[in-house]
Amino acid sequence: MKTFWHNKRRSAGFARDRMKLLLISERIECSPQMMKMLKSDLVHTVKKYVTIEENKVKIQISQEPPVLMAYIPVITKKDR
Amino acid sequence: MGEVIVITSGKGGVGKTTTVANIGTGLAMMGKKTVVVDTDIGLRNLDVVLGLENRIVYNLVDVINGSCRLKQALIKDKRHPELYLLPSAQTKDKTAVSPEQMIKLTDDLREDFDYILLDCPAGIEQGFKNAIAGADKALVVTTPEVSAIRDADRIIGLLEANDLRDIHLIINRLRPDMIARGDMMSVDDVTEILAVDLIGTLLDDEQIVVATNQGEPLSGKNSQAEEEYRNICRRLMGEEVPFVEIKQKKSVLSRLFKRH
Repeated sequence: MKTFWHNKRRSAGFARDRMKLLLISERIECSPQMMKMLKSDLVHTVKKYVTIEENKVKIQISQEPPVLMAYIPVITKKDR
Repeated sequence: MGEVIVITSGKGGVGKTTTVANIGTGLAMMGKKTVVVDTDIGLRNLDVVLGLENRIVYNLVDVINGSCRLKQALIKDKRHPELYLLPSAQTKDKTAVSPEQMIKLTDDLREDFDYILLDCPAGIEQGFKNAIAGADKALVVTTPEVSAIRDADRIIGLLEANDLRDIHLIINRLRPDMIARGDMMSVDDVTEILAVDLIGTLLDDEQIVVATNQGEPLSGKNSQAEEEYRNICRRLMGEEVPFVEIKQKKSVLSRLFKRH
């Protein structure tokens, strides 16, 4: 709980998250704007086939080795 | 054969020149024959930080043009017998020197010195290319701020693209109080973001400003930052020196009102 408070609620946490996204996108030559577009395209495509929790989708690119990861929670009939 | 180390940052004002002056003085104090080279042509400032501004006769451009011999341009620091300065030119600009000429110069200096420290200009243009051309190792100086970190990352990319892969990170101007309350990125945060080997963590220390005002690096009463500059020197010499934890000094009041 303490780490959550320290990292997320205060400005250092914001700075760290912003820099991670920015520097990774700069290193793979993909702007934060393009990352956002990539995310919306992915959501759009997946939505055509399954129902998803759109506001919980996360896109990440790890640095070493560079791997694109998408976290897309799917809503099943049971949940509805 | 000496080792050529370039101190660079991308962004200006993060403490490159101060770092060069302090590490250079530290290495000389430890008995290593050291030369510090100001490669910022047109914006000379390493000389004032070292307190040697009144002793300049010849400079780096004079040596490269052949207007004087290398030994004539080197200024010997009377306080530290092993420390020498090669000052930059104040009247020329950065195009007065080429990377090939810098490689030649650093190779000449290797013959006579254990350590050759190059103070790199800010930016990524000609001056930067000149400074990194002859280097074996790079120390990237940054502060825990978004602007400095972004520039440091760019610099690391450029160094790697130029096949300079022995890169170490110095994080300057850390404020333990701000880190403790979560308003400044920590050493771990910055190291994780930039993903290079850490070689020094320096607190934002008044004593460094005092020493710079006096033109006498490492002259203070063993402040924390000065101690860490000495640790960086020992790490450069291959010693394993543990990092001191960046923690806030607790005042009596904050101990009384400790909250959990």
